Amino acid sequence: MIGEALKGHLDLLLLAILAEGPAHGYAIIESLRSRSGSTFDLPEGTIYPALHRLESQGLLRSRWSEDSARRKRIYQLTPKGQQVLAKRQEEWKKFSKAINATVGI
Amino acid sequence: MKENRIQSYLHKLQRHLWLRGLADAETLAEVESHLLESVESGLRQGLSVEDAEQRTLERFGSVKIVARTFEKERKDGMQKLLLALAVLMGLFIAYVDSRPTWDDTGITVGTMLLGSGLITLLGYRRPWLIALAIGLWTPLYETYLSRNFSLPGVILFPLVILLITSVGAYAGWAIHLGIRNTFHLA
Repeated sequence: MIGEALKGHLDLLLLAILAEGPAHGYAIIESLRSRSGSTFDLPEGTIYPALHRLESQGLLRSRWSEDSARRKRIYQLTPKGQQVLAKRQEEWKKFSKAINATVGI
Repeated sequence: MKENRIQSYLHKLQRHLWLRGLADAETLAEVESHLLESVESGLRQGLSVEDAEQRTLERFGSVKIVARTFEKERKDGMQKLLLALAVLMGLFIAYVDSRPTWDDTGITVGTMLLGSGLITLLGYRRPWLIALAIGLWTPLYETYLSRNFSLPGVILFPLVILLITSVGAYAGWAIHLGIRNTFHLA
């Protein structure tokens, strides 16, 4: 149930995590897990296709980092990604406010 | 030497992505990097190598789910358009080839070869499907019209045609990948 609901908001979550700074896939997934208290626990392999799509849409850009012992693909928010994130955050505020008001939370 | 579970998973994923026309070195390198980092994290938490690998693969998701998600995320209208174009091209070639006045096998073969190559060169990700979409109709039409249900008619002729369209489709796809890798296109 949570997994299915999460899919519709995955882009927002990924953009929000990357708004805090560039990160590689593993770190993004760890952040998603820890910040949600393990509630958002999608199969990790399904996050990469979403990251690639966001990159092809111009919301993210990536580069390979050779800093550590292992090569890592680092993702970073683009200016267009920042704009889309701000818009999605606004939409989410309105949406969650309306849901909360309706269900009486 | 027996390969470990991570290598085995990566080979399976590569095969599944390849069948979908999605296998590229960067994606696989990224997945490998993730899996190894996750195993290392498990080892740091005191898990055995086997348990760390198992937890890593369970968390990452089955090869089928991951490959399917890659495919779903990359589906675009262009792929559908190119497949429709290939089917139309195959039907057109079959129609022209069946005309009583048409007697130029060389042009038919050349058109199949170039047509299938062009579609994959433009970026269609499943060369085998393009080979079928273009090469299926001529043998079907030929068999239907001639009522020739002999072994060469039913098996050999379609195989030769599919071999021709496969050569074209895979050559086009190889050139496409070469261009992408040369110019570092996504």
